[in-house]
Amino acid sequence: MATSNVRHALFCAIVTIVISYPILGLNLEAEGINIVLTGTDATTIVAIACAALIVFLFQLFRDSVMGKLGAVSDLNPLTGRKPMEQDKRAKLESWVLTGLVVVALFWPFFSSRGAVDLATLVLIYVILALGLNVVVGLAGLLDLGYVAFYAVGAYTFALLSQYYGISFWMALPLGALLAGLFGLLLGFPVLRLRGDYLAIVTLGFGEIIRILLNNWTNVTGGPNGIGGIPDPTLFGMEFGRRVKEEGNTSFHETFGIAYSGEHKVIFLYLIALVLAIITALIIRRLMKMPVGRAWEALREDEIAARSLGLSRTAVKLSAFTIGAFFAGFAGTIFASKQGFISPESFVFLESAIILAIVVLGGMGSQIGVILAAIAVTILPELAREFSEYRMLIFGAAMVLMMIWRPQGLVPMRRLHITLKTQE
Amino acid sequence: MQNNVKKLVTAIAASVALLGAGAAVAEIKVGIAGPMTGPVAQYGDMQFSGARMAIERINAAGGVMGENLVAVEYDDVCDPKQAVTVANALVNDGVKYVVGHLCSSSTQPASDIYEDEGILMITPASTSPGITARGYELVFRTIGLDSMQGPVAGGYLASLNPKKVAVIHDKQQYGEGIATAVRDTLKDAGVEIAMFEGITAGGKDFSSLVTKLKQAQVDYVYYGGYHPELGLILRQARQADLDAVFMGPEGVGNKDINTIAGEAAEGLLVTLPPAFDEKEENKDLVAAFADKDQDPSGPFVLTSYAAVQLVAEGIEKAGSKDPFEVAAALRANSFETPIGTVQYDKAGDMKSFEFIVYEWHSDGSKTPVSN
Amino acid sequence: MQDLLYFSQQLINGLTIGSAYALIAIGYTMVYGIIGMINFAHGEIYMIGAYTALIAITGLTALGIAWLPLVLVVALVCAILVSSSMGWAVERVAYRPVRGRHRLIPLISAIGMSIFLQNYMHLAQGSRNVGFPILIEGGFNFGSDGAFQMSLSYMQITIFVTTLICMTVLSTFISRSRTGRACRAVSQDLGMANLLGIDTNRIISATFIIGAALAAVAGLLLGMYYGSVDPLFGFIAGLKAFTAAVLGGIGSIPGAMLGGLILGIAESMTSGYLSGEYKDVISFSLLILILLFKPTGLLGKPEVEKI
Repeated sequence: MATSNVRHALFCAIVTIVISYPILGLNLEAEGINIVLTGTDATTIVAIACAALIVFLFQLFRDSVMGKLGAVSDLNPLTGRKPMEQDKRAKLESWVLTGLVVVALFWPFFSSRGAVDLATLVLIYVILALGLNVVVGLAGLLDLGYVAFYAVGAYTFALLSQYYGISFWMALPLGALLAGLFGLLLGFPVLRLRGDYLAIVTLGFGEIIRILLNNWTNVTGGPNGIGGIPDPTLFGMEFGRRVKEEGNTSFHETFGIAYSGEHKVIFLYLIALVLAIITALIIRRLMKMPVGRAWEALREDEIAARSLGLSRTAVKLSAFTIGAFFAGFAGTIFASKQGFISPESFVFLESAIILAIVVLGGMGSQIGVILAAIAVTILPELAREFSEYRMLIFGAAMVLMMIWRPQGLVPMRRLHITLKTQE
Repeated sequence: MQNNVKKLVTAIAASVALLGAGAAVAEIKVGIAGPMTGPVAQYGDMQFSGARMAIERINAAGGVMGENLVAVEYDDVCDPKQAVTVANALVNDGVKYVVGHLCSSSTQPASDIYEDEGILMITPASTSPGITARGYELVFRTIGLDSMQGPVAGGYLASLNPKKVAVIHDKQQYGEGIATAVRDTLKDAGVEIAMFEGITAGGKDFSSLVTKLKQAQVDYVYYGGYHPELGLILRQARQADLDAVFMGPEGVGNKDINTIAGEAAEGLLVTLPPAFDEKEENKDLVAAFADKDQDPSGPFVLTSYAAVQLVAEGIEKAGSKDPFEVAAALRANSFETPIGTVQYDKAGDMKSFEFIVYEWHSDGSKTPVSN
Repeated sequence: MQDLLYFSQQLINGLTIGSAYALIAIGYTMVYGIIGMINFAHGEIYMIGAYTALIAITGLTALGIAWLPLVLVVALVCAILVSSSMGWAVERVAYRPVRGRHRLIPLISAIGMSIFLQNYMHLAQGSRNVGFPILIEGGFNFGSDGAFQMSLSYMQITIFVTTLICMTVLSTFISRSRTGRACRAVSQDLGMANLLGIDTNRIISATFIIGAALAAVAGLLLGMYYGSVDPLFGFIAGLKAFTAAVLGGIGSIPGAMLGGLILGIAESMTSGYLSGEYKDVISFSLLILILLFKPTGLLGKPEVEKI
């Protein structure tokens, strides 16, 4: 027992060195026209040695360490705690949510422009993550090409405004509907595929859409993208310094206040906020409806669900379409916030980030997903020095979450109805 | 590590500057926005080192209207989304002049905000014609356009009396823009274009493309894009015995192409802005860069330097710190900068920006080609 | 004649790429055959193999060792060693703890691992494209002077021969050796194999190590053939190889070979007769079509849905 443990621990330590030293310790650098190998500084070497030592010790005392760790979670005061009663919890939740919405509504008027703009981006991610949550979290369909629907929404608005001069408010439902339609069309053939095949096919689809957008230069501008996408208007009032479209008035002139660029930013933020709330409410409602239950049933046990008479295709298709619909929503807002879009904004990495948000937040859980969207978008802004490590941390976090807490930071809790016992 | 220290120092400098804002010496903030991290960070380094140097030297020479310039730096990772966030943060911080951004796809959405908010922007690196084609008042650049470089390259190729030319690009804004301009110039000159085709940026296998070029029996190939792909094309073309001369824009003209293509880089034609760092009048400046162990030969170092200088001299000429008046002054006057005499047209482009055809060698050096 | 030569040249180009895809595809197909998961990080293992080979070659050059066979063997051994260790470690850290859970969980873990490894390399070696030195140069030319000449380079021959050797060794190993038989048993029925006294954990580890070793071979070969490496090039190659595995029938080793060759040829014909811009569109469309109409692939066994 002991010797095999030592041998195993030694082996693990050696593997640690083998996979880290050649890559971290020896750097390929260009010196003039030649590639040369340079050794790294002592810190890295020491770090590698430390890592190997830690791995060695951990593997050597693995059993007792794991045992201790298990004991620690017993000490955790939260584990023994009874979950709050459901109606009490629901009440508390609704108070907290109302409070949050009120704060979110009035906060931008006292905040800086940069912060409000960042918050708008967060809200776009919230909408995207809520939409993907329906597909991945509730229906259990891993969609790795979600960004394609986001792109469809954004390009719908951009193209319609460029060629037909359609305004934001017209394009918003159109973009979402078209994205939903794409979801329906794609979903129809592919949804009979099993989970992991579906993931790959959606990934391929996402890439195909991006490549087509990039190659179809005559219509989409190809890599040049589309610029000059108009801002949303408020009952025909524009927020720019000068009125761009005839027949519109400008916001600051109508109200006789001085022009400020902040109005536009705050207005966009409020639109995004309202749409995010609408998205959350619709999905919340859907979750309680038969279709929402059907999604979860199919995720948990497809065969059982089908034998109970649920149509697999219809249920999956509904989840896929609804998810795509909200991605289109988010895409339209994104296009209008940016004023310029190009295929660069719709790469696979974006899909991966949205997926990471859903996974970190807890698949299926709305509050968790919202918190994760905020964390994932804002943390790199706060710690710019760490932005290089952002994707590294994302990747590691995804793995660790799957190992330790596949249910996410804030796991989903299903509402249930208790029958009153008759007296 | 060193980078972090640098950032820390600038952060401290910036906060000290903010503290001192109320003090006797007023300060003018100049935003520098570009990629500090991400895949194109090496180009961002050029931009930042050039701009920092300019600010330092201008301050040492007494500043602008008695006030010091202060750099406020922002990282946009060359991501259009982050560029908009950065632009808003700039507005927030009350910055009135920006040197940036680097990538055209970042510059374009950011410039919408700058124009709206009355911030003067000079990009030292974005070459997409679309940026200055929107009638904006406050958008300038210190670099040539794709539509200027293309005709130079196309004209040179046409003057060689080629039988057949192939034009290849990487389907990116920069590459396709230049390639299109080259194709149009060649067409006007009556040269036969054997093919005009895109490749996948980031791709590695170009053996089919090389075979196609061989089949088409082209004697010249123009490639619009960056060095990683062209390096591979050159190398694979040599392996397959393709006998054609390649030409590319300034995006391919750096020593990294030699590390990939090796011997195959010999004889490559490149259009580049004249080597500003070899000019006699820039000797001082080049020495100053050498003192700091920095390399001024990168394509965006001195354009960034010039951009800061233009902001400073524009303010002096206008006698006002209002960006609109500074913009008017930039259009009305001509300025002597390390990248030559700068005069602006109405759109905010330089009236003339010279490109020279160089022949590239396998040891990473280049010689100008007489035309 | 001209057209025929041109066609043959594109065929050779396609076969070269295709055989390298096949080497990578083995890793997908074996892992899928045994534990039924897509090892998303396999493309990154290939990328790491290519980097390690380049590091070894550069190191040897710096030491003044230039005898080609030695350089190649050392580079190959280093690449296989590091990649296999990485493959083993990845399975240990990211896949074993989540094995047997809901299907999505190992997949998400694998995607996380793929992102992690990409950025690990990015941070360690930077994002620049690093060139491979040209080691094997020259080749045969066919066709008359002045017209289109078909060329078959020594590098391409090396790729064919190496792939062929690897495949033969692998098939013999799988069909003859004790571990190979155990592999087949585990892929038939993991639980039953366990009951019969096969150390399934060991076999699964072995699968990852074999797959990673072949990916490392592909990394060295393609690195030399293409001419440069960067931290992102494993991802797309991984996707292509996965497509090849699915095309041939996932779980089947001859299928991976066949799928790789077909995909390679399809790609080179697309760039040769249509346009290089649509190369990736074609391979993704091929993947989608195969999955829709023949999910078991060309040589795969139909999968029975277990209830």
